[in-house]
Amino acid sequence: MTVALPRTRRKAQARRLSMLLGGVLTLAMAPLAASADSGSPAPTGSASAAADTFTIGTTTDVDSLNPFTGIDANAYEIYQLEYPTLTEYAAKDFTTVPGLATSWTESPDHTTWTYKLRDGVKWSDGQPLTSADVVYSFERVLNGQYEQTNYSAYTNDIASVSAPDATTVVFTVKRPSPIMLHLYVYILPKHIWKDISETQVKSYTNEPTPGSPTVGAGAYTVVERQTGQFVRLVANPNYYGGMPRVKNLVFRIYNNPDALGQALKKGEVDYADSLDTNVYNSLANVPGVTRVAATYSGFDEFAFNTGAALKDGTAIGNGNPALKNASFRRAVSWGVDRKTLLERVFNGYGSVGDSIIPPIYQSLHWTPTADELIGYDPVKAGQLLDAAGYKLGTNNLRTTPAGTPLSLRLLGRSDSASSTKAIQYLQGYLTQIGISSTVKLVASDALTEIIGQGNYDIFEWGWVIEPDPNYQLSTFTCGKRSYKDAGQVYADLSDSFYCNPAYDQLFAEQSGITDPVARAVIVKQMQALLYQDSPYIVYANYDDNFAYRSDRWTGFIPQPEQNGVYLFQYGTWSYSSLRPVSAAAVANSGMNLGLVGGGAVLAVLVVGGIVVLGRRRKTATSQDRE
Amino acid sequence: MAIQSQGFGQSTHAEKRSWFRRNRDLSKFVLAKLGGGVLTLLFVVIFNFFLFRMMPGDPVGLYNRGRNQDPVQLAKLRAALNRPIWDQFVTYMRNPFAETIDSTRFSRPVWGLIGDRLWPTVLLVGTAIVLASIIGVWIGIRAGWTPGGRFDRISTGFTLILYSMPEFWLGLVLLIVFAVGAFGIPGLFPTGGMISPGLSGGSLRGVLDTGWHLALPCLTLTLVYLAEYSLIMRASVVDELGQDYLTTARAKGLLDSDVRRRHAVPNALLPTMTLIFMNLGFVVGGAITVETVYSWPGLGLLSYDAIKGPDIPLLQAAFLLFSFAVIIANVTADLLYAYLDPRVRP
Repeated sequence: MTVALPRTRRKAQARRLSMLLGGVLTLAMAPLAASADSGSPAPTGSASAAADTFTIGTTTDVDSLNPFTGIDANAYEIYQLEYPTLTEYAAKDFTTVPGLATSWTESPDHTTWTYKLRDGVKWSDGQPLTSADVVYSFERVLNGQYEQTNYSAYTNDIASVSAPDATTVVFTVKRPSPIMLHLYVYILPKHIWKDISETQVKSYTNEPTPGSPTVGAGAYTVVERQTGQFVRLVANPNYYGGMPRVKNLVFRIYNNPDALGQALKKGEVDYADSLDTNVYNSLANVPGVTRVAATYSGFDEFAFNTGAALKDGTAIGNGNPALKNASFRRAVSWGVDRKTLLERVFNGYGSVGDSIIPPIYQSLHWTPTADELIGYDPVKAGQLLDAAGYKLGTNNLRTTPAGTPLSLRLLGRSDSASSTKAIQYLQGYLTQIGISSTVKLVASDALTEIIGQGNYDIFEWGWVIEPDPNYQLSTFTCGKRSYKDAGQVYADLSDSFYCNPAYDQLFAEQSGITDPVARAVIVKQMQALLYQDSPYIVYANYDDNFAYRSDRWTGFIPQPEQNGVYLFQYGTWSYSSLRPVSAAAVANSGMNLGLVGGGAVLAVLVVGGIVVLGRRRKTATSQDRE
Repeated sequence: MAIQSQGFGQSTHAEKRSWFRRNRDLSKFVLAKLGGGVLTLLFVVIFNFFLFRMMPGDPVGLYNRGRNQDPVQLAKLRAALNRPIWDQFVTYMRNPFAETIDSTRFSRPVWGLIGDRLWPTVLLVGTAIVLASIIGVWIGIRAGWTPGGRFDRISTGFTLILYSMPEFWLGLVLLIVFAVGAFGIPGLFPTGGMISPGLSGGSLRGVLDTGWHLALPCLTLTLVYLAEYSLIMRASVVDELGQDYLTTARAKGLLDSDVRRRHAVPNALLPTMTLIFMNLGFVVGGAITVETVYSWPGLGLLSYDAIKGPDIPLLQAAFLLFSFAVIIANVTADLLYAYLDPRVRP
């Protein structure tokens, strides 16, 4: 998705921040939690217990239901449930598979792409979905300034779009473009959206009102939203993939990860997404709950300031000049123990990192050979530093080739427990190889600014990578370095200021190859180049930890096939096949605790009122006597 | 109140004249208080504008985080925000409550967002303050009437312990015990939220369901707030204990409970009344920690999210609302105090 950055950083941030608070709470609560009754069925008052409702607990709210406005990962999960796309990513291995389009062909001269749509598809309100809707959706993005912001990554190469007949869509492209295989622009119903002007769309919420659900063509449509509480969707009977078996889908927002864990224990939610390690561990051995540490598309890295500069090459910032030297960076990389970091920072949930395209994308991921591998070897790191002229001084600390003291400034994110830990480990590793350093923790937002200005030596952060590698690869091109506007320097995507003409050349080449296999060859070359030049030390590919009620639900389809995530995928594979384990498993006691509980609260108030009134009457008589 | 209504039975001419004079003084007093309130409001409106413009950060960067904006568009947006500060100030002062101001995070008008969250917060914190003040005052009276007695020792100890507990911790304990179920107690209440999906807040079921969701967060807040009221009430009751008028009341042959209720309590209630009204001003501010533990969709949480951004338009609006509420509550308390306590009145 276009939103690679926010998916990343936002999700990771929220997860880690709550870890900080969660740690304290879980420690304090451990004895209580252990004795908590866990297997009891949920009351019907919470919709989740009903056989026809599947409740997903998350810790972030949906920022907007309008696909032109929303940025957060949860919002995209709902968009893809609601609106179809031309093609989809396979659950098995992220290859391109039919979505709304059943087939597509690129003209031999690479100038046009023709998509054949499914026949007889209907919107949830019964109106036919035709090529006119597809053309409308793409033109809205192509012609709308605001509409472009979320989707221009998919439409930048498109010159025009037309519909020769009701089930055919033809795109002409400005240049050969592999992105045409992953057009993740949501197809919207023209008969609804044509009434929303370009000025109105900015504040359009796309929220349902009672009795009129939003109109979509995906597996579900949104019927109810309570800001800060939940979003409820119902199965779309007109879905071209067949109506899902579970009628209601509820995304419930928990502001506190511990409460989310408790809700899963109790059975008030059926699926708890992106859990902190503490909460995840506390759910071990809970009857009926299965935990999954799934491979995820995110990595965390130590990034070097490889020589901060603007796009035009003008140097900025105050990075240590030693870091401009690739062999110096490689030497530092030899001094970092990735295995221990994974163990200590991520509790072992994940795999040791190497390249910027994570192994979850098998066809694109590059793995170093035994010869190329940079492992953990402080002695070798020391030798490499000696060779580069950074000799050990009398105090066991290295000096620059000019003989001046060498010290690096390390920056971690104060709002992330993992970042705080990792950067302190790095300081230890640097000391081990004779490099002195200082650690400073700053808030993520502040760090973004510091990086953009080039005022750092090394920082710790992470990315989440989408199946198409273009966006991630672009962050190392010269053109993505910071830029100047009205005398002020602003950050672009590059946060290591890596700039290598050979890399840029390969980048341009891969972005014009439409054959996935041929493209992958170049993408791997680029990763090998980055690994050698080490602008980043990718130290861990962390897992996505989640848990669900396996005593009630089954039929999830992981993506990828091998130990993949069940929900929040690139696609909506699990939702169509999800089903109760048995009718009995999700049945409940039949007593409605919502009504009983509400009634009890009301009764307490009424009885309290009567008592107070009664007392007043009694005192009134004593007044009379006075 | 007993004191206030004295002397109006048979008014002589002279008394009437003094009543008019007093009335004129009173309106002067009221006007002065209101004027002070308005000035404070004005100061807050102005201060609020400059406060958030001193915050670090790049609002445009936040708004476009991860979006594919071309630099020309970004420059346009920045230019709109980089207008001369004086120019911005004039626009702002023309209508600080303009509906056109959008939140950067939610891309929706800020006052709409705040409106959505206001009712849940008022419901939660308002109910808790009302309950805590009623129960707290009752405990304070009982405890203060026989200081050092068993009830006093137990209640003072108990409320102090609750007062010193971190709200989120107490909230989580109650959640685990009463929502999930522990120690043989079944999980009777929901773990979070304000209403179950599929129910309308207007229907009877919806109202009952909201009450059910409200129970635990409200209990948590009430328990934490209790001590504030009970301790102050206790202290003022103790102050009244040795007063001559109580001896007189007893000499008239009144029951001990009547002496307490009709003579001691009305006089002892004054400081507590002030406290209650001051706290009512903070109702809209919400209770961030309890709202977090119980995922209650209130204003406290919204403003906390806004600070993380920072979502400056939203913060600005939220702060305006909070300060207005506090100032209005304080002015009301001032005026009410004059009504309740003639010594304050001119």
